[in-house]
Amino acid sequence: MIDVFKDAINKIRGLLTPPSYLSWQTLLLLSLFSWGMAALAEVSEATPITVGMLSTGSWLFLTIAIWWGLTDNPIRLGYISISPWITAAVICVFVFRPWTNERLQLAMAVWPVVATILVAVPNFCDWKLDWSVPKPAIRQELIVLLLINLLLSSWIMFYFRIQHWFNEYPSLIAENLDESAFVYRFGADTGSNSQAELLLTSAAENLEEQLDDTPWPRVERWLLNLDNSINSIAEGIVLNAVTESIFWSLDAPRPSSVSNGYQLRLRANWLGPTAKQNGYYVEKVCTIMPRPLQQRAGEAREEAEEGEETAPTSLIAQVSCSDQTTQVEREMVFEESAT
Amino acid sequence: MGELEPVFPLKAVIFQILFLLVAVALEAMVLRQRLRLGYKQSVRYAAAVNLLAVVVGWFAFLAVEPLFEPRLQAQVISYVLFDNLINNTLKPQMGWIILVVGLVAFFVTLILKLKGLELIMRAMGTWNLPSKPKELTRKERYSRSRTGTTLYKEAASQFAIAVLQANALSFSAILLLLIMRSYVLRSVA
Repeated sequence: MIDVFKDAINKIRGLLTPPSYLSWQTLLLLSLFSWGMAALAEVSEATPITVGMLSTGSWLFLTIAIWWGLTDNPIRLGYISISPWITAAVICVFVFRPWTNERLQLAMAVWPVVATILVAVPNFCDWKLDWSVPKPAIRQELIVLLLINLLLSSWIMFYFRIQHWFNEYPSLIAENLDESAFVYRFGADTGSNSQAELLLTSAAENLEEQLDDTPWPRVERWLLNLDNSINSIAEGIVLNAVTESIFWSLDAPRPSSVSNGYQLRLRANWLGPTAKQNGYYVEKVCTIMPRPLQQRAGEAREEAEEGEETAPTSLIAQVSCSDQTTQVEREMVFEESAT
Repeated sequence: MGELEPVFPLKAVIFQILFLLVAVALEAMVLRQRLRLGYKQSVRYAAAVNLLAVVVGWFAFLAVEPLFEPRLQAQVISYVLFDNLINNTLKPQMGWIILVVGLVAFFVTLILKLKGLELIMRAMGTWNLPSKPKELTRKERYSRSRTGTTLYKEAASQFAIAVLQANALSFSAILLLLIMRSYVLRSVA
């Protein structure tokens, strides 16, 4: 066991000990030293400029060390050496610091181009930095290499464009992507995180706000004028992804009567892209029942004294919406199309 | 920007590589026969020119897509993610739009391939078309008045016809593959 450790340590030492002053191991050690000094400066509360310079130097040494080391010992994948891409990745991390998504996007898109430049530069100038145009055969190889890397860049940018769509229209994530000729989803479908849930919950809240405890005749007028009423509910609902709201339309079929009240089905129609043949809608059922107005004790006594005229008309509405929503696939094409 | 979904355009990459292989094979064949280039050279030229066309196409799409009006963008998203066209007010026009885009793509690719092939052959030093002469010799003037062309025009049109034929062949082959794909999928479903 200890021998194994010894062997490993010896190997690493052999790999890291510079064979001469001018070697990549020297640079790697310089980078480590610079990093250590930067850490020391950070601890001893030096000015930010000092820390910045030291850590930048550390990064620079590390990048050049990796470039040099990989040029001497290329990592091969089949016949292709992937060393330039590794060095380019290190450079991109150093230059763009891709901790946020926007910068990650930029760094990833530029990465293959940086790799091409790394391959191309040694062909254009020698160790004395004399500029020369490479031979025709190498020129052609470099052109093809540049084009291939630009194609890789385009694929990466296309990936980020698709992510942008998911970001703008989150309901697309819940869809089945198996039919696509372009994308493949790793892992199982994430369950329904369609925004219909949010839309219908807010709509139900608005409905309760408008109708709860209002006199029953007003409810009936509201239901008669259903289209306008639904529009008034839909107003002011803000989805998580605002851009997606163009793909949702709220409506309700004519309410059906149950016992002495009504059952209203709020429907969120999806008008956007979907894998389902004729699209789908999501439904939430709300019941609106009349109930007698229960006045406070004092008022009731007063009314009783006044007489019996007001008593029969004092019915008010009680709205209750179910917590569940159901997603229904349409059997026919929806007439009202997205605008 | 929210979290990244594990959805990768892998199928697009595979299809693209397949179509590139088909196009390069067919175009190399035509270039070899028509321009008398070597076997290896014609494959290299065809590969470079097709890669150029594909890259320009991607950049154009990525640049133009955010400017699409919402209805058209919805159609594009629907096609990319679900392989169908959604039923919005733009659907009746989609046939025309696809046709026009296809035609524009064909001619833009043709121009790109003509110019790209010329450039890469110049870079290689194998561009053997005579440069456009300013002064025609007596003999050339005689031949022009007799046949209606000059040596330069003759060679240039030979070159253009070769590239046009190569482009037409690869476009037809890819279109055929796409039609076959949708036909096969339709019959399975």
